[in-house]
Amino acid sequence: MKPKVAIFSLTSCEGCSLAILELEDRLLDILGAVEIVNFREGMTPRSWDIDLGFVDGAVSTPEDEKELLTIREHCKVLVAIGACACLGGINTLKNPQGKDSYAPYVYGDQAKWFPTTDAKPISAVVDVDYQLPGCPMVKEEFLRFVQCILAGRTFRLPETAVCVECKKNGNLCLYEKGVVCLGPITRAGCEAICPTYGSKCEACRGIVSEDALKAANINLQEQYDVSLEDVLADLRLFGAHQDTTLP
Amino acid sequence: MLDRVVTQSGLLELIEELGHTHQLIGPVARPVPECDPPVRHFYQRVKHAGQLDLSFSYCTYSPKEFLFPPSETLFNFEKVDGRFTATPVLDEQRRALVGVHPCDVHAIELLDHVFAKDHADEHYAARRSHTFIIAIDCPTPCTSGVFCADMKTNTATQGYDVMLYPLATGDGANGNGQTRYGAVFGTEAGREWLYYNRRFTSPSAEDERSFKAYPQTKAAAFTRELNTTVDKLPALLDRSYDSLLWEATARRCYSCGSCNLVCPTCYCFDMHDHNELSETCGQRRREWDGCQLPEFAVVAGDHNFRPKAAQRLRHRTYRKAKWVKEQSGLAGCVGCARCDRACTAKISSVEVYNQLAEEA
Ligand code: SF4
Ligand code: SF4
Ligand code: SF4
Ligand code: SF4
Repeated sequence: MKPKVAIFSLTSCEGCSLAILELEDRLLDILGAVEIVNFREGMTPRSWDIDLGFVDGAVSTPEDEKELLTIREHCKVLVAIGACACLGGINTLKNPQGKDSYAPYVYGDQAKWFPTTDAKPISAVVDVDYQLPGCPMVKEEFLRFVQCILAGRTFRLPETAVCVECKKNGNLCLYEKGVVCLGPITRAGCEAICPTYGSKCEACRGIVSEDALKAANINLQEQYDVSLEDVLADLRLFGAHQDTTLP
Repeated sequence: MLDRVVTQSGLLELIEELGHTHQLIGPVARPVPECDPPVRHFYQRVKHAGQLDLSFSYCTYSPKEFLFPPSETLFNFEKVDGRFTATPVLDEQRRALVGVHPCDVHAIELLDHVFAKDHADEHYAARRSHTFIIAIDCPTPCTSGVFCADMKTNTATQGYDVMLYPLATGDGANGNGQTRYGAVFGTEAGREWLYYNRRFTSPSAEDERSFKAYPQTKAAAFTRELNTTVDKLPALLDRSYDSLLWEATARRCYSCGSCNLVCPTCYCFDMHDHNELSETCGQRRREWDGCQLPEFAVVAGDHNFRPKAAQRLRHRTYRKAKWVKEQSGLAGCVGCARCDRACTAKISSVEVYNQLAEEA
């Protein structure tokens, strides 16, 4: 029997679900191998008996939380896709501002009709079996994940930094241009797309290891003349790091 | 003794002709206005010799990727009637690597040795045997911080098809103000190229004079960076296994692997199978790996032989300055300092060697 697959969206731009549709030609192969039973971007819901459930988006409202608990209940395997689901994503930018400030800012005097909470990754609410991070999620990684699951092989995220892919691409390191790039502390898997196109890495795939983050704290204070505040702001952009200090 | 001499423009014409039979790869200038100087060089494939900048300082990456690419398919496999068949992928494209500096010539010699040892690697061998190497000597250090003279790798007497020595710019009869290259062949193919081309001429008396003075002028131009000698490094490392330096330096290390990936003598790789969704066909690929990456030494059962950055830094240093030399007789580190330039934590191999030497 074909595994039953569902795709859900919480608070997000749903770009990660769209990324699945963007697989186009290869999507047809996947559709041949699985049965899609629930997909807001692509169809109307059919069934709640789900083998493999993908969720994009952060938990940012009481409604999200309720929906996520229901999703978890019905999915044998639950996968967080994209920075919002894995890390909280840009939704978490509101958190440090405090609810009394962001709710009226967004909803004005209607704020009380729109209950909202601090944004958090879905792992803060339910157990998550796999994470496919990135803003947006990396399509090729999604495909590799589906292949592994279908073949019964183990799936693992790369445990290396973005620099590895950046070097394999033959890029000139942004540090040579005086730019503080977060590549050395960010989990690879994106093919270093940002540095390859000239922008610094902003850690949308999360921090690769606590050790790397520690090294960043030392290097940025001892070796570089940069404001730690700016670096922390970059790290907070996609929710990779919510603390006010580095370890 | 010089075999032949050629002017810069003559050389470019010759390379252009070589392009009829070979893919041309050589130093290309990329403008980078944010940098000082505002240009960086990269070995790149070009259509025409005129796109090359032969007076380049150094290339950010070594030419290694044209012999041993960051990622390559070794074979394709397919399951037909319940049986797997594999078809090897061999790259037999003829290439000319132009502007390989002595450090990288030494590094390629090490790769040749490693990929031929025990079980010869047919993928490397296929590329290597179709690659014509035109080396260019460095009369002065390519940039600050290089320690090729210390490693005895800033000159090369083999490992190339042809070596070009930029001689003092001639005037009048001797070169019209252009750089003149003194050429020496290293292989039979190189000899043919030099002697069967009319653009190469016999060296004049003046050429021979500048070539005679060349080594001395060059030696004076290369200052020492190491406060010990390359021959003493193995013994120095023997004494330094328990040094506190490893921990003290590696606390800054991101374990990002950049130092490995830019290194011309790093040859480690990892292999994966890439299956199509149908699972009946796919490719076996190999990709560059690096000993500074956290999972490099993980074996079955998830045991990691070198879980700490300090252990990995020590391992890399031992490889570069002791083990490779002891195993192969060839330089494990050619002093190009690409690792030092690539490290965003500003960890420097020269500094590591020098600090160990000071401690000892
Ligand atoms: S540009 Fe960024 S990702 Fe690329 S090597 Fe430099 S630090 Fe690493
Ligand atoms: S480049 Fe520097 S930070 Fe990265 S692994 Fe090498 S020594 Fe460590
Ligand atoms: S270890 Fe560093 S200096 Fe030595 S060959 Fe490798 S990149 Fe060059
Ligand atoms: S490191 Fe030495 S041999 Fe290599 S390019 Fe620079 S000066 Fe030449």
